Amino acid sequence: MTTATATTPARADPTPGGLLLRVANLHKTYRLGRVDVPVLHGVDLTLGRGEWVAILGASGSGKSTLLHLIGGLDRPDRARNGRARAQIEFRGRDMVNCSQAELNGFRCADVGFVFQFYHLLPELSVTDNVLLGTMIKHGRWGFMGQRADLRARAHKLLDAFGLGHRLRHRPAELSGGERQRVAIARALMNDPSLLLADEPTGNLDRKTGAAILEVLAGIRAERGQTMLMVTHDPEIAARADRVVHLVDGRVVRPSDG
Amino acid sequence: MGTVPAVYHALLTRRYLTSKVMPLLASLAVVLCTAMVLITWSVMGGFLNNLTQAGRSLIGDVRIAWPNVGFAHYDELIGMLEADPSVEAAAPIIETFGMLTLLENRTEGVLIRGIDGGSFSRVTDYPGTLWWRPLDEPMPKDGGGDDLRLADENRLLLQRIYEDGLRLRELDPVTGRPESAIVLGVEVGGWNVRTDWGGYYPRVQHLATPEGGSELMNKFMPGSGELSLLVVPIDSQGRPLEPQTAKLPVANEFESGLYDIDRQTVLMDLPALQKMLRMHAAKRVVRGQEGAGSAFEGFFDGEGEVAPAQTVEDPARVTSVIVRMADPDGDLLAFRDRCHEIYAEFAVAHAGEVPSGSVIGIETWEDANRMMIEAVKKETGLVLMIFTFISFTAVFLVFAIFWAMISEKTKDIGILRALGASRLGVAWVWLRYGLAIGVVGSVLGGVLAWAIVTNINEIHEGIYTTGKWLGTHLAGREWNWYIWDPKVYVFKEIPHKIEPWKAAIVLVGGLVSCLVGALWPAARAARMHPVKALRFE
Ligand SMILES: Nc1ncnc2c1ncn2[C@@H]1O[C@H](COP(=O)(O)OP(=O)(O)OP(=O)(O)O)[C@@H](O)[C@H]1O
Ligand SMILES: [Mg+2]
Repeated sequence: MTTATATTPARADPTPGGLLLRVANLHKTYRLGRVDVPVLHGVDLTLGRGEWVAILGASGSGKSTLLHLIGGLDRPDRARNGRARAQIEFRGRDMVNCSQAELNGFRCADVGFVFQFYHLLPELSVTDNVLLGTMIKHGRWGFMGQRADLRARAHKLLDAFGLGHRLRHRPAELSGGERQRVAIARALMNDPSLLLADEPTGNLDRKTGAAILEVLAGIRAERGQTMLMVTHDPEIAARADRVVHLVDGRVVRPSDG
Repeated sequence: MGTVPAVYHALLTRRYLTSKVMPLLASLAVVLCTAMVLITWSVMGGFLNNLTQAGRSLIGDVRIAWPNVGFAHYDELIGMLEADPSVEAAAPIIETFGMLTLLENRTEGVLIRGIDGGSFSRVTDYPGTLWWRPLDEPMPKDGGGDDLRLADENRLLLQRIYEDGLRLRELDPVTGRPESAIVLGVEVGGWNVRTDWGGYYPRVQHLATPEGGSELMNKFMPGSGELSLLVVPIDSQGRPLEPQTAKLPVANEFESGLYDIDRQTVLMDLPALQKMLRMHAAKRVVRGQEGAGSAFEGFFDGEGEVAPAQTVEDPARVTSVIVRMADPDGDLLAFRDRCHEIYAEFAVAHAGEVPSGSVIGIETWEDANRMMIEAVKKETGLVLMIFTFISFTAVFLVFAIFWAMISEKTKDIGILRALGASRLGVAWVWLRYGLAIGVVGSVLGGVLAWAIVTNINEIHEGIYTTGKWLGTHLAGREWNWYIWDPKVYVFKEIPHKIEPWKAAIVLVGGLVSCLVGALWPAARAARMHPVKALRFE
């Protein structure tokens, strides 16, 4: 039953900027004690360069799970029972059968995460939180060598998000919307080709959420940032170029749903 | 990505360390443990050092010994030894046992050492151990200057007594002629009272007189005829001969710092002891051929009643020759071997007359004091071991605190992984953190230990005066809060030096403990699944 959708990858519109990401046959099963909890049943998805795609789905449909798999935080199920092999191709690179180190590098350089609950480090200042990804990317000497540049870049990003006056503050001293803007700045610091946002407005009131959405739209407009956004709110999803529905662990086109 | 080490490691270590109370508590535990171990080790080690130095003060560096029977031609041996550049000086001594009858017929078994004052002083620190002598400065704990050796009016008398002690002679008060005298360990006679500050003053006692009255009796340095010393000469077959008794005056008393030695040892003029033990130069009777050349035969002194077939002069003998190294920090074992070589040469020259080089006993001062040194070493080791075990609480504390912190910081770990940090990178955050706690803890612990140990006598004194003051105000009498009571311990002061190598070992130990404590939690952090960490509530 899962192979049916897998054999016909949805290729509705060939994207103008070329293909950035191709996902096929993605299965993910969690294990709760002895019980298998299947979450994803063969997800197929493509993402063109510069595209903003929203994944819309009910709570528990596996949206976050999918995002984690695409972002290299987790690995899909291995092929079994004659099922077709799971594929995640990022710029033509195979991200399923790669080493852990490659995956670390992928997360560090190619992907930027924005989470529903911001996930900032409480002990670090706003600036240090934004710089964290570059510290991980560059190592000690690399970072120290271009420290001033990186700081300037972080401050510029924060300035653009209206946080120029909060650089030394701790996350606890910021509002939810401000925190999410810090998180977006952090995600952008390493110039990722792909921004993954997991319900970025999910924890915010309507107005603040709308402002965050404006920030994302701005990024997309300015830098042509490729974005994959997860949400359960059709209104928010409507801001994206394309909406993909996730139902029962499978991607369905609107016409199917 | 996630190079190790990276800037985020340092940053997180610093932030975690300064924004949390728990790691500060862990650091404090490390401070206390390192300080405790270092203080104990330093004080106990200093104590051991004092003890060994005290044990060394009266035996020289190497002792060549042939017990009981002794060996002859020792002057020649000493000449050969002193001709060697590695030898500072050598001295003949006799070591034997005897009975000392003190005042009121109290009899004590004692260790008697016959010494030649001059040579003995060159080989050992004998002059420094003589208690009765004029003193310019009060002793460390003698705050009140109670010491009668400080008094100007005693100066002349004490100087004379000191010189008598050095020579083991005393002028006979009746004839005015010098006579042989003994020098006792300061605890032998029992007539000295040990003061609170660890010194001595002579006990003054009222004695009942036969007439029914009482007489003030000063037992200081009993004169001629008051003490008697009994020794049993032994012939070459180990058979005891007629016991010999001598009545001798006391010239002075010595304090080596080792209670056992100060309690049992009597020093005596060498020629006098040789005569009592029949080890002096004497005539020997040789019958026919058989005894020719053997020094280990029965002998008779000049007054022997057996009609001699042939009379030869037998040289004087001693049981030991003690030797001092020219270089005080030289290699003791090499020096012992050198002495052995010299003795072997000497034995070849006197083959048949003295024990051969292969049988003679040659030992260093360390060998001679092995029992005592080993005991204290074991004690030090034991205490150290106990404290080291206690210090494992620091390891455990670091472990427990880290375990708790990693649970608390699970989300941070997930975030770091999401930003591209490797497992190793995450582990290193915590190892580095443990290292930081270890460095801070052990360095502060080292400083604390240094502060306490270098001032330990002042601290001790402070505790003592506080006790005295509190006691007089609260209980109407002085409380003795001395932990290291100079009245009891032979050393007046607590050792107060930290050896750098000990400090280094303890500091590194503290650091390693912290790393060990952080190891498992760090591994747990590294194994954590990033998604689970991110979803962690
Ligand atoms: N570690 C896990 N073990 C077992 N089941 C899990 C685990 N993680 C997630 N699940 C289950 O997988 C399903 C999908 O979870 P996921 O978080 O991806 O959903 P979601 O679409 O993001 O939901 P939401 O909109 O509420 O965030 C849920 O039913 C969840 O209970
Ligand atoms: Mg979710």
